[in-house]
Amino acid sequence: MIELMHVTKSYGNKLAVDDLNLSIRGGEMFAFLGPNGAGKTTTIKMLCGLLFPTVGTVRIAGFDIATHGQEARQRISYVPDTPFLYEKLTGREVLNFIADMYHMPGEKAKRRIDEMIELFNLYLFVDDLTQNYSHGMRQRTVFAAALLHEPDVLIVDEPTVGLDPRSIRLLKDTLRNETKRGATVFLSTHSLDIAQELSDRIGIITQGRLIGCGTLDELRKQAEMHGNLEEVFLILTEEEGPATPVPDSSESVAVSAGS
Amino acid sequence: MSPAILFQKLRFRLAGNAFSLLWNHAWWRIVIMGYCCAVLWGFLFLLSSHGFHELKTRWNIPLQQSLIDLPFDMFFFTLTILLIFSTGLILYSSLFAGRESEFLLASPMPDDHVFSYKLQGAIAFSSWGFLLLGSPILMAYGIEVRDGAPWYYYVAMPLFFLGFLLIPGCIGAIACLLVVNILPRHRKHFLVGFIVLVIALAVYWGVSWYRESRNFGVGSRPWFESFLNELSYLGGRLVPYHWMTRGMRYAAIGRTEAMLYNLALVWSHGLFLYVVTVWLATKLYRRGFNRIASGGTLRKKYGGHWMDRSLTALLFPLDAQTRMLIVKDFRAFRRDPAQWAQILIFLGMGSMYFLAMRRFYESDLRYSFRIGISLLTLIATGFLMCAYTGRFIYPMLSLEGSKFWILGLLPLDRSRLLVGKFVFSAIGCLVAGQFLIVFANYMLGMPWLIVVVHSLTIALLGLGFSALSVGLGACMPNFRETDPSKVAIGFGGTVNLIVGLMFLTMVVVLLPMPLQLFYVQSENLVLSPDMVPWYYWIGMALGVLVGVGTIIAPMRAGVIALRRMEF
Repeated sequence: MIELMHVTKSYGNKLAVDDLNLSIRGGEMFAFLGPNGAGKTTTIKMLCGLLFPTVGTVRIAGFDIATHGQEARQRISYVPDTPFLYEKLTGREVLNFIADMYHMPGEKAKRRIDEMIELFNLYLFVDDLTQNYSHGMRQRTVFAAALLHEPDVLIVDEPTVGLDPRSIRLLKDTLRNETKRGATVFLSTHSLDIAQELSDRIGIITQGRLIGCGTLDELRKQAEMHGNLEEVFLILTEEEGPATPVPDSSESVAVSAGS
Repeated sequence: MSPAILFQKLRFRLAGNAFSLLWNHAWWRIVIMGYCCAVLWGFLFLLSSHGFHELKTRWNIPLQQSLIDLPFDMFFFTLTILLIFSTGLILYSSLFAGRESEFLLASPMPDDHVFSYKLQGAIAFSSWGFLLLGSPILMAYGIEVRDGAPWYYYVAMPLFFLGFLLIPGCIGAIACLLVVNILPRHRKHFLVGFIVLVIALAVYWGVSWYRESRNFGVGSRPWFESFLNELSYLGGRLVPYHWMTRGMRYAAIGRTEAMLYNLALVWSHGLFLYVVTVWLATKLYRRGFNRIASGGTLRKKYGGHWMDRSLTALLFPLDAQTRMLIVKDFRAFRRDPAQWAQILIFLGMGSMYFLAMRRFYESDLRYSFRIGISLLTLIATGFLMCAYTGRFIYPMLSLEGSKFWILGLLPLDRSRLLVGKFVFSAIGCLVAGQFLIVFANYMLGMPWLIVVVHSLTIALLGLGFSALSVGLGACMPNFRETDPSKVAIGFGGTVNLIVGLMFLTMVVVLLPMPLQLFYVQSENLVLSPDMVPWYYWIGMALGVLVGVGTIIAPMRAGVIALRRMEF
């Protein structure tokens, strides 16, 4: 469902992602781990077509994101670490807009919106303007919007930051249900316990290079130890040395705009 | 639902919700905005009516003939340049720096539709001022030309405007796309270079014209004709603003075929440019987004800039902590192109004003006229300072919102935060304001007493506006907003503006105005202070008291509010 073939991305003369090869099948939950500035967000933005690979090809559901971006994006939902919501729309209006955006038929859209409101417990605030939402309310609305059109690929960047335990539980259940439905979940996170608990496979990236990829047992073998994911992660990333921070795209906009 | 309809639906929904929110929570702001627009519109209309009437009756210039095309060409040419800049800048931040763009580009919406939605928003946002400025002038022209323009002149006016707006808007958009795609690393330098070039060309034109026209005498008919001749090269047959000019004139004199021809020219070129721009966006928008994110330098070293060091050295009388806070604000300001670009435009306009001053100096102006110009200059400088402090200084404390936990926990008295911002603002106001006023009065040959009183007025205004913006900014902060322009137009910003304008009116009425009137009445430029009646001095003393009170009271209120502030 997701294929990255020899993908390299450079910012000026600095490599952010270096010859990344990855294939993730349908219905798989893939956790993408790495230290700050390792190239996770850059990879995610290439998956969504926001950034172009300097070298290599990205395919989503068989569509090359560079040449058939619109078809690929029709099958993706992307939840960034700081999601965007129209402040002057209510939660329900946001969901209606997303349904129209993905060309959902009227009846189906209405049914799915009701389902999402129920699933994420949006009843109490779905008709308020989103500018009044707390972080947790925003995050639940964003997930409702992301899952509304039943995407084939769900790309999630740091979904649990700032959420209370109940919301994290809800999120974990939702992600599991998505994979059961057959969707591919690409989860970028620093939360190693969530990655260990949920994912089928784990990829570890540092300094732009994928240094480990497989099930937890396979990573343990690679690290030559039997600890939990945290210990495996620390050993594997330690061998590579500390990463040189690479700004994400929004950061680099600000960087290059200054003097 | 097609993407175009979906975006229009979104736009109306957003606008509708924003309006209802504002109407339900702060209806008076809509009323104040409407009132201010109406006052400005009415003022421009009366001024234009008077001007056209004077041209028609006193100067015997036939408003229906092509001679009138020249000032209109100049007007539309200037607006074209301003619209190209403003649309380009608004579009840049909207297309490449906004989070909405990232959201839409990650969705299946086609790139050209996303771009189109953003372009329409940018044109609408940048052109409302154009409509506010242009419509009263054209209305006045329609009333004054011959015995009044036919009814369809007023119908054609918005049609011409709408078609015309597409042209500079699209040129700005194309420039924005090209700069981002071709020069992602040097877009700031390009922008500054281009603004400097435009200002240099304007200055060159002004100087050339001044040299040629100085012998005619300002205000004489040959002087006016020389001005019109200078403009003639702006009115080529192939430039869109000339189609506007001719189309409106033909509509005013009832030549419908010629009017429709020019209207068709404006619209066909506007729509053609729109199609070209959107087509270009399909090729360049997403590419530009990628280029701007990854084409620049990865890490740039900051700090150690000569401007920061100079400011630090200049502030030597202050303690180290206050100095540090001022330099921090200055650093944040100079690193934000959206902020200093507006100051650059202010400076450009100021330069043109200086050039105009030189002409007054060498021309044979009436004494009372010069006194009036001197007072107007003072008021205009006051307005500029009021606008500057309201737009740039008032939001400063609100913008500290996300990092207030750092400032709030610093081992310093919170009043230093306000003092730092006050000094930062006052330095800018006093240096620029005093220079402008002293220079303008010198050029106008004003007596030293007027220069001293103006200088005192500017000092009080500069300090008062700074205190108001800093103090009220602390009393009514908006920590949720990250956009300074939105803070400035919010509730607190509006209150600050209104209080600032009241303060300006009081100080001007009490301090310089009576003295200026006294000079006009006495028709004597060499009056000594003892010849000025005592009650004038009482008025001036009251003005000084108002000024000092306006400096102390808001600062005091701000300090109290800041000390009590929880974070």
